[in-house]
Amino acid sequence: MKVTKNARLTILLFVIPALVIYVWWVIYPIISAIYMSFFQTETLHSSHFAGFSNYLRVFKAALFWKSMRVSLIFILFTTILQVFFGFLFGYLVYLQQPGYRFYKALLFMPTILPSVATGFIWSYIYSPSMGVLKPFMKAIGLGKYYASPIADPKLALYAVIFAQLWAGVGTQIILFNSGFMGIPAEVIESAKMDGATGLKLVQSMIIPLSWDVIKMVIILQTIGALRSFDLVYVMTSGGPNHSTEVMPMHLFVNAFQNFNLGYGNVVAVILFLMAMILTVTMRRLMQRDSLY
Amino acid sequence: MKAKQKETVSTSGNIMGRGTRIFLYVTLTIAALAVILPLLWLLLASLKTRQDLTRNTWGLPQTWEFKNYYLAWTGSRIPRYMINSIRATFLSIVLTVVLSTPVSFVVSRFRFKGNNLLYLFFIAGMMIPIHSTVIPIYTMVGDLNMKNNLEVLSLIYGAYRIPVSIFILEGFMSGIPRELEECAVIDGATVWDIFFRVIAPLSRDGIVTIAILTVLSSWNELLISMLLISNSLLKTLPTGLMGFITDYNSEYTQLAAGIMIAIIPPIIFYMFAQEKIEKGMIAGAVKG
Repeated sequence: MKVTKNARLTILLFVIPALVIYVWWVIYPIISAIYMSFFQTETLHSSHFAGFSNYLRVFKAALFWKSMRVSLIFILFTTILQVFFGFLFGYLVYLQQPGYRFYKALLFMPTILPSVATGFIWSYIYSPSMGVLKPFMKAIGLGKYYASPIADPKLALYAVIFAQLWAGVGTQIILFNSGFMGIPAEVIESAKMDGATGLKLVQSMIIPLSWDVIKMVIILQTIGALRSFDLVYVMTSGGPNHSTEVMPMHLFVNAFQNFNLGYGNVVAVILFLMAMILTVTMRRLMQRDSLY
Repeated sequence: MKAKQKETVSTSGNIMGRGTRIFLYVTLTIAALAVILPLLWLLLASLKTRQDLTRNTWGLPQTWEFKNYYLAWTGSRIPRYMINSIRATFLSIVLTVVLSTPVSFVVSRFRFKGNNLLYLFFIAGMMIPIHSTVIPIYTMVGDLNMKNNLEVLSLIYGAYRIPVSIFILEGFMSGIPRELEECAVIDGATVWDIFFRVIAPLSRDGIVTIAILTVLSSWNELLISMLLISNSLLKTLPTGLMGFITDYNSEYTQLAAGIMIAIIPPIIFYMFAQEKIEKGMIAGAVKG
């Protein structure tokens, strides 16, 4: 539609409320975070310009680099696992054997549960006194290897990653499934005529034809995993010994438990930059090189 | 990628080998059990006595303790948290829809300079992690004396739903044929008429989608509500449950009952809106 004179006022009326709220609560805070990352805060209401000293402090902090590493491991493992299982289950459901609707509905269900509940359930499954893990390991003859996974600095991160897989893989299943549904049936049919079945069909047809979907799922999961906070907070709060302290958790601890807002804002800026770089580069990647 | 769902795919069973089919069912069943067993364990734990739970973690309860539910419901503020969550969720849906729908209409249906820029400015917000803005939000809300205020919490939830909602709705609205509004213009319709009588009704699915996604994110949101609400009469369910978990730490069975009460509404919601939720998730990831 062209914008006539009469329409101009209406358009402004339509745009301004959302613009005000959006700038007020989303844009202004992120600019403020960047700005405040150059200030040293004494109390909530007094601060002075500090140049890059907050940044230096963050970059010198061993715990910051640790949280970066923890985040990268978390992103890497959840992405590999969720993409693999998402693809596998998404494909098996796509084959539409009897009962597939039931499986699809069930496998997606955990994604809608509150993370507080998911975190609680998994903490207790892992716990030595009430949990299911210990009796389960006993039953399969591995009882003597049992150690409470979320209390062990070496295992805790993987215990959270596993809970995240349980809670999150439904999204990937749905995305892959819908991607496979988009492949024209004739293409699959003719591949089958040529004798491509089972694994060969997946390898020669499904993977190349859904390459865009695969890339998209990887992007979304990477960006999503960078932002993971809730489950970590509920299950371990970053412990034991910072072994599960992903970057958002590191920010939370420093800003709201140690009340070091300058430090927290630096982490916030780094997190924002990482999210932006990931989004932009990955969107670029998606536009180029399709396999077909 | 086209996110269109087709119900019949001609991957008919006759080509699939017996081995493949066994693999398919075994794998899917293991996955289904992995989903069900933790929830079943929670359900059973919520119906046991404490001694029963310690001695017999796996099995059925020796006596069915429905009392746990009664105690969790009456002995805690869970009913209160639930009402607060419903209020915050409802308000944030209204805000999201009222704010995002008109903007999507403007950016998808009007041609003017800066139109695309405006759209990009809005959806750029999808790149901003809420964790990056949480410190300024916390100080702002504190400065304005607006802590412990469910309306403010909902306003923030609504604000963070704007980018993705416009992203989804713009896709829906761009697909509506131009001729429809051209006819309306010839008939003398104003912009308001076109919006309320033509575009908004035709985008009903899109509006339902953004509403559903808002339900899920507001109902489950933890970080912001934890920081902005400290008055336990105003806590939403996720924040309230965190406190409940600490308070009831030794009463595992009542705790399990409390968690069950908290997950029942999302599960019921899911049972009624499964298709719509799935479509919403897809629409939020892929446009259209």
